[in-house]
Amino acid sequence: MSTIVEVNRLSKSFGSKQALSNVSFTIESGSTTALVGPNGAGKTTLFSVLCGYLRPNSGSVKILDKPLGHPSLFGKLTALPQDAMLDPRFSIQKQLCFYGVLQGLNKIEALKDTTRVLELVGLSDNHNSQINELSHGMRKRVCIAQALLGKPQIVLLDEATAGLDPLNAREIRSLISSLSDEVSFILSSHDLAELERLCSHVLYLDKGVLSAHNRNEQIGSSKYITLQLHEQYKDAKELLKQLSGVLHISQSQNKEFIIEYQSCFEQFDIHLLKYCYKHNWQYRQVVNGHTLENQLFQKD
Amino acid sequence: MNTHRVWQLALFELTRLFATKRGLLAIAAFAMVWLMILHYPIGHAVPFLSSPQFSEVAHELAGNIGLKKLVSWPQAELAIYWLIALYSFPLFALFVCSDQTVGDRQRGTLRFLSLRCTRDEILCGRFLGQLIILISLITLTALATLSVMSYRNPDLTFSGLSLTLVLILQLSIVVMPFIALMALLNLICHSSRLSIVLAILLFTLGNALLSFITGYLPFLELLFYVFPGVQLLDIASQDSVSLTLWLIPFLQTGALLITGIAVFRSRAL
Repeated sequence: MSTIVEVNRLSKSFGSKQALSNVSFTIESGSTTALVGPNGAGKTTLFSVLCGYLRPNSGSVKILDKPLGHPSLFGKLTALPQDAMLDPRFSIQKQLCFYGVLQGLNKIEALKDTTRVLELVGLSDNHNSQINELSHGMRKRVCIAQALLGKPQIVLLDEATAGLDPLNAREIRSLISSLSDEVSFILSSHDLAELERLCSHVLYLDKGVLSAHNRNEQIGSSKYITLQLHEQYKDAKELLKQLSGVLHISQSQNKEFIIEYQSCFEQFDIHLLKYCYKHNWQYRQVVNGHTLENQLFQKD
Repeated sequence: MNTHRVWQLALFELTRLFATKRGLLAIAAFAMVWLMILHYPIGHAVPFLSSPQFSEVAHELAGNIGLKKLVSWPQAELAIYWLIALYSFPLFALFVCSDQTVGDRQRGTLRFLSLRCTRDEILCGRFLGQLIILISLITLTALATLSVMSYRNPDLTFSGLSLTLVLILQLSIVVMPFIALMALLNLICHSSRLSIVLAILLFTLGNALLSFITGYLPFLELLFYVFPGVQLLDIASQDSVSLTLWLIPFLQTGALLITGIAVFRSRAL
């Protein structure tokens, strides 16, 4: 794996408001990275800096070992920027072909690629539509399609599934998942369940300050399992503590337990499920490690 | 700067005018206006200039306002075309080129483009596209005037053709800084309308203010060279126009584009 994004001590302020403060991180190739944080945390600012839309006040960014805006990045780094729209005077096909040609494809290749990406986002019947004839969700899918033109290596998607109906959101998620072996995605979203499914690496921004989380990190000699039960069973926490191999139990929500266990304990998950069966507990979900929500917001 | 991408951006601008409904409507309106110009001012003035009864008066009048050489042209239609086009095309350029980047910036379309080409390429490509559009329109109107003239006097066709080509070249040079000015104003303003308003204010209020100031500080007269079209009055006569006057639009265009590039590089998209 090689480093594809390297951000060093990046700061950006708007007047007196510090949008990004000394942000540093690296992203390795082949990883799908989530960028999360509350509204106004600086996610879109960070995206805008990475895409070269905004100039940082200080710090440096290297993408594929090149500085921001370097011509060799054209077509390799693509993005779905927030609130950006194609020109309503031209058909979608014409504009996507034009983008393809700018990326170095000839006209025939650009047309082929336009057909491919429109098929990928489920808009093969809308080649000749203009952008203002489409619904909000379809517009977003067109914008995702333009980000997939050519052979991008890094794709930044800012709120890719926001405003999409569940079926289309699911299709976009499966599209990201299917392409994630060839393309490194950086996703910003408020949907933690979505990010949980797609991302191996999380960048958490709050008030412009960043903290990074590795989803599958093992700390010391213990591992974690998050168990969500169907109901609030009597004495469940106490009984779980008695399970062999368990080091610590904490309750993140009403029916959700974070179980810390000895990493040397083999097949602990099966052991745990058998224990649930023994006590006649119905479980809803078992997560290997922490849920993303707990990882980000659990204080203890 | 990658010339392939600049050229592609310029070509896309052409389709904006020639392949969109709005563009075609604009061309239709433009054609109607020029049909009126060809029919009335040009069509009616030529018999007046050519008639022996009035030609002496016309020559004397033109001599007083420095247009003696122009009136002596046998291709009278082209002489009147030159005078009308010299002032109307720069004004027309301000309107036609009022949305080079501002609309795309407001809509976010520039964000898609800037991931595929540099900002310098976008600015220069759009400028080139607008210049090609204006050259096409200048060429169409000049050829239409040539046809009117050839219909009146077929003997003038050959000499008129070479003169038409010269006028097309000269008018194309004249409009260049106006397009570059709009490219720059587009980067400063938040809408194409505001760009037009700013341009009009620059040419009216700006000019008046500078005239007033130079009354007290004469050395500031050099600042008049900032205004595109500063040389129009001097070249209108077509009488021993110095090369320097033809250099001014090139220098102004270069300066405006360089300023535009600097502004564009530093601004957020």
